[in-house]
Order: sequence, then structure tokens, then C-alpha cells
Amino acid sequence: MLATINPTIKAITVFITGVLLAFLYDPITPLIYLIFTILVTFLFGNISLKRWLMLFTPFVFLSIGFAWMTMLYSSSSYAGGEVVLSFWWFEITRETVMVAISLALRSLCFTALSFMFILTTDSTKFMLSLMQQLRLPPKLTFGILAGYRFLPTFKYELEILRKAHRIRGVTQSKGIKEKIMQVRRYLLPLLANAIRKAERVAVAMESKGFTGSRDRTHYHELRVTKRDWLFLAAFLLVFFGSVLITYQLGYLNIFGRKI
Amino acid sequence: MNKQSSTRTSTFIDVKNFSFDYDNNQENPLLKNINFSVEQNETILIIGPSGSGKSTLSLCLNGLYPEAVEGWADGSIYYNGQNIQQFKKGKLNQQIGVVFQEPESQFCMVTVENELAFTMENINIPREEMKEKMIKVLTEVGLEQEISRPIHELSGGQMQRVALAAVLLLEPEVLILDEPTSNLDPVARENFIRLVEKLQQTRDMSILIIEHQLDDWVPLVNRVIALNKNGELIDDGTPQEVFYENYDRLQQEGIVLPKVIHDAMNIHRHERVGVKHRPLTETELVHMISDVYEIENRIANIFHFNQDHPFSRDNEKYNKRLVTIKCSGISFARKKETILHDINLQFEAGEFVAIVGKNGAGKSTLLHVLAGLLQPATGKRLFLGKEYDGWDERELRKNIGFVFQNPEHQFITNTVYDELSFGMKVSGMSETAIKHRVDELLTRFGLMDKRFSNPFSLSGGQKRRLSVATMLHETPHVLLFDEPTFGQDEQTTAELMNMIMDLRRQGTTIVFVTHDMDLVDRYCERVLVLDKGKIIFNGSPQALWKKSVLIHRAHLRLPYRVRIVNKLTQMKKGDLSHVSNH
Repeated sequence: MLATINPTIKAITVFITGVLLAFLYDPITPLIYLIFTILVTFLFGNISLKRWLMLFTPFVFLSIGFAWMTMLYSSSSYAGGEVVLSFWWFEITRETVMVAISLALRSLCFTALSFMFILTTDSTKFMLSLMQQLRLPPKLTFGILAGYRFLPTFKYELEILRKAHRIRGVTQSKGIKEKIMQVRRYLLPLLANAIRKAERVAVAMESKGFTGSRDRTHYHELRVTKRDWLFLAAFLLVFFGSVLITYQLGYLNIFGRKI
Repeated sequence: MNKQSSTRTSTFIDVKNFSFDYDNNQENPLLKNINFSVEQNETILIIGPSGSGKSTLSLCLNGLYPEAVEGWADGSIYYNGQNIQQFKKGKLNQQIGVVFQEPESQFCMVTVENELAFTMENINIPREEMKEKMIKVLTEVGLEQEISRPIHELSGGQMQRVALAAVLLLEPEVLILDEPTSNLDPVARENFIRLVEKLQQTRDMSILIIEHQLDDWVPLVNRVIALNKNGELIDDGTPQEVFYENYDRLQQEGIVLPKVIHDAMNIHRHERVGVKHRPLTETELVHMISDVYEIENRIANIFHFNQDHPFSRDNEKYNKRLVTIKCSGISFARKKETILHDINLQFEAGEFVAIVGKNGAGKSTLLHVLAGLLQPATGKRLFLGKEYDGWDERELRKNIGFVFQNPEHQFITNTVYDELSFGMKVSGMSETAIKHRVDELLTRFGLMDKRFSNPFSLSGGQKRRLSVATMLHETPHVLLFDEPTFGQDEQTTAELMNMIMDLRRQGTTIVFVTHDMDLVDRYCERVLVLDKGKIIFNGSPQALWKKSVLIHRAHLRLPYRVRIVNKLTQMKKGDLSHVSNH
């Protein structure tokens, strides 16, 4: 289901809701939205729970880290309210706790939205959609796709390089200076190869009649249908809905200003 | 437009006084004043030593050069009577398709399906027709099962067939094959050539083949064009004319000729044979031999001329008592997949052993285990009687050398001199000793005048020589090679083999992963055949050539010498009808 939503519209949805969420400093809206995003991901995404958790869990710890830092070093502009906890020279107020939780939930929201996009979108189709819907020039999109093909080769080559250098008696590098030297040693052959390959691919593409012209047919014709607009509308609707709920609960906080 | 188009309708391509250079060197351009023409449905082989501009010529023919490289060109090329300069961008490419040498770097999409679609989109084929065309062309090249596979998971031979399929979708009138098989293993190579042969019969198109290894291509072609290393066209005619009438000249120019031609010429020199015997295929050669010699003398005679006779080797000289590497019960797994299974082997000083087998059989993994680069899951590895883990890493590296397939991977410094002295510095040699040893290596490997050059700026052959030289700061006990002759021309291979024979004489064990059975036949005294991670044969090459079932199973191809001998033996039995071409 999610995989069949037009990739460009999906990307726009994730981007707009992400920007909108950035304005909200209360914990309720991002909480509702996080639950919503995760529900959508699993109800319509056909993603294995295990894989998703493996990817998502590190971000949970990261956002707890964010929250902790915000709590300790928050700016005084929204540090009002009663003190709930104090130790050494830190004083943690009710307001800062709220802002911190909100920050953590917001980061998780961004993460969940991004994963919803990444895990349900085929990279080739995304590029093709950018070309067909946003009129990105074919030279750019096919260039990126050609580069994307090199990633597995790059990894393989790096592994070979490591071994080749070990054979030469290059031992585990110690210290920053040696580390930099080592990166330099890897970079030259990797780049030399990459440039040569890029040239060859370019020649091969041109000899298959590629000119970079927009006048071409499309094998995967990607269209924006009513369903795609509904998808965007649903995400916006739920966003404003949760803002409304939060407002009624009296928690709404936009950019640090309580409403 | 051009008068020729009306008078000579069958002339597809007309090259007139064409010169080209990458750097606007008009005095001495890369291609000099080339003149030739291509007729409809002709199959032409373009030969020449490396650096003679063969590949450049092919890209000039389809109009990509000089524009793509901002090179300089003079003279003109006509396609169907129209100067190719006048074609709209991209239009000419649709009529002249090219398959390139390197399988991995001619695609821009991830899956076979999308790659083929890319080609069709370029020429505005309506979407509804795409799927049908795609399936048709994939069936033609025998890949209909692989339609949704990612290209990078395919074998080299399959990739080249995808590249060919993509080009065929353009329905080209001319097909240019720019060394399409030089990175393939022998079986994949043979299959590709068979495929082109089939297309030649079923499709209407002219084919231009650019190749170093001519042997299997010759039966397909009806014309040969030869370039010399100065980029001049020195010969143009039928294969018989070019190969037999200008044999000496082509040899002098450093062009590697098919083995059949060499042997036939040798017979011509020693016996009185009329011009009617100008064999191009192995079968024709066999018939020639049987016409010229008495039955009993046939096999003896043909290899009397052949100096690469395997029995002329002087392998008794080597001291073979010292065991360098001994492995027992080695296994290796990556993720859950077993790659090596219960490997038992032993190498002795001065031995030259080949490891062969099809792609994915575990050859490279075994070599990495032998080098101590990978840790086996089970089993025991001894180097000079001592466990690998008991060796100091530095000492181990000094004594076990490893030459990678791509020489560039091994370069770690900015000059040839530093490259050679690097290992010596690591092992703590004195300044004067280093200088002495480096000079010695530079002279021995013919790199003296390149000693301050960047390793990356060397030619292919020089890079290969340097990559071996870097392993020789001290004479290693074992030297391992991972397909060192892959994609290299014959000259480089010959140089490499000379270096290796030198090292053997000093008692170094040489272990070689290769697909080249002619090399195995000519140089190796022992061969290990790997299949699905197991050693299924361990013995002399001569014994291996007799095991036809095993050879088939491991995707090997008999060496040229053995193929000829077998055909002669078959013929001796009076079984002429079974002497086939392939």
C-alpha cells in the first residue's frame, strides 16, 4: 500500500509534516503523531517488525540523550514553572521537562516518518518520480542512479584495499596522523577507479542513445492519483487534529509560547 | 548529399583519411589517416597491439568521439553516405551499438529490467511495447529467467549478455564489440562468442569485433583490419590473406596471432604445402596436419615445432623437499554459507601450482586463507612447520607475498621508488642496503626510468611488474597470485611468466588462481580443481586433461594443445565425422 504511493508525494508529505512538527514545543502533539505514523507504517507498510525495531531503537536512545541535554541546559526563556528536581547546580523545572519530552518525541517522529519513507520506497522509482513529477533533468536523475549502482562495488573494493595494504606490511594505524595517512592511501585508488568507471558509464549511456533530453518515454510511468493526494491530506488532517486535541487539553505550545 | 550513397548502397560506413588525437597532437596523432569501409552484413575483426587506438576508433565510428573528449579529428566518416558530423545528437548511436570491455561499468540501473527499459526510453519506444520487446531480446540472449535480478548479482558473462541485449534493443545496423570477452572466464567467453555467431545468422547487421585474443573469433569473420602501434592501418583483407600473407609483418608489429595460424605457418616453413592449406579453425588445422603427415607422425610432428611443449620443462632442477605450506581440514564460512570445506593440501619450495574452478567455487577465499588474510573456521595451517598464529605478522608478510588482480590496489606511496623501498623500511633494512636492493629491482623489472613516476601513471604492464616487484624486497618463500593475467594482454602475461619462472628457480612456491588453461598446461606442474569449496582434483595438468567429466563439472576448457591432440587422436581412430568445430 505505502509502497504504491507516489514517491514524490510521499517525500513532500514527510517534509511538510516534519517542518510543521518543528514548531510545536509541547509533548502531546508529537506523541499523537508518533503513534499515528507508526500505526500507518505497520498497517499499510508490510514491514517486518524486527527489522524496523533494529533500525529504530538506536534513535530512541539518541532522543533520550537529546532530552537529557535539553533538561540540563535549557534556555531560561521556557524554564519557568516549579522546580521538580535539583542536584548540584542544576535545577529542573516542570517546563523544561515538558520541552525535553517534546524534543525527544519530535525526534522520534522525524525518525518514524523517515523510516516510513525509506522502507517503503524503491530508490529507482523515487528518482524516476522526481524526474516525472518535479521535472528534474534526466541527466541528474540517471547520473544519481548510475552512482547508486557503484555503492556495493565501493564496499567490496575497500575490503580488497584493506587486505592489499595488510599484505604490504601496513599495520593497524595508531594515532591521528597515521589514520589520516591511511585514509589518503585508500582514497587515491578508490577515486582513481571511481573516476574511470564514471567516464566509462557515461560513454556506455551515450552509446545507448541517451542524450539527456526530456523527450523520452517512461517504462515506469509514475502518476499522481487521487489516492496520493488523499495520503497527503490524511497526514495533514491528523496533524491539525492532534494540534486541536492538544489545545483543548491546554497543553499547546508553539515555539515556546503557551497558547 | 554525397554521391557515394546513390552508387554504393551497400556501403554502411566509409572512413576517409581519418585522423584522431586526444591532445590535438596533429603532427603525430593517435590514429593516422585511416581509410576503410564496411559493407552490409560484414563481420570485421580489428586487430592491433595495445595502444594502437582500436577502441578509440570504435568510439569515433559511433560519433561519441571527438566531441566527448574534446579531441582533434581530421578527415571524415560517412554513415549511409551521410557525414556523421551531421547526425543529430543520439541518432547515430541508435544505429551503431557498442558492447564494452568491462562488464560492471556499462550500466546505470540496478535491475536487468530497468536497464533494458532505459535503452528503450532513450529511443522513445512506446511504453506498451516495452515489456514484449524486453522478453523477446532476453530470450534471444538466454537470460529470460533473470529479468528482475539486480545486475551486480549476475556473473560477468551474464552482464555482457545484458549489455548485448540492451544494444540489440536499439536494433542497430552495426554492432561494435570492444573486447567484450577479455574479462570473462573461458566458458563464459565461449558462450558469448557462440551467441554472437547466432546473432550474425539471425539478425541483419554488420559486426565489428575488436580483440586481443583472436583464436575463437576468427571462424566468424570475413575480414580483418590490422592497425600498428603508430595508429596506421597496415592491412585489410580476408583472414587468410591478412594472417598468412603478412604473417611476419604482423609478428614484427607485436600483434598476437591465433595459435592455429602459428602452428600452420610452422608447418608451411618446414614442409612443402600448397596455399590451399590456410586453416583458420582448429578443425581445419587438424585436417591440414593429417594431409601433410603420416598418421603415426602427426602428434609428434605438430609439437615438434611447438616450443611450448610441456615436456620440455626442466622441473627436475628444483629442490622440492622443503614443505612451505601445509593445511589440513580447513573450512571457512561467510554468514551461514560454507565457502571452503575440509581442505587438505601441501606446497613445496619451487613448486608452481594452479588453483582452478568456476566462479564462486572458493578459489579467491582459499588464496586469502593461505595468505593469512582470512581466519579459517576449523583446521590447521602450517607455514614452514609452524602454526600461522604463532608467526609474527611482520615476519609472515615478509615470507608470503600476494599479488592482487588489480595492481592499483597494492600501491600505497607516491613514487615507484618509495613503493619498492616501503617493505624494506618496514622490515628495518639499512639505508644503503635499501638503495642497493631497490636499484637492483628497478633494473630487473625495467622500471629504472620510471623510478620517480607515480605508480598510478604507469602503463598496464608496468603496473603489473611493479605490483610483483613490491613483493620481492626479500625473496619470499611463497608467492600467491589472484588471477594476475585477467584482462591483460599477451605481452604483459609473457613478462609475468618470465618473472615467475625466475622466482621458482630461487625456490619460491608459486600459487596461481587462474582461468587460463593454456598457462596451466604450459607452466604448472600441479593443479588443484575447486568445486563448491572442495578440492575435487589434485594432480598434474596432464592427468586432469584426461578427466572430461570433471572438466565439464568445473567449467574448465581444455587447453589448445590438448584440443588439437584430442582431435588428431579422434581422427586416427577414423572417426572423422566427430571432429567438430567446437
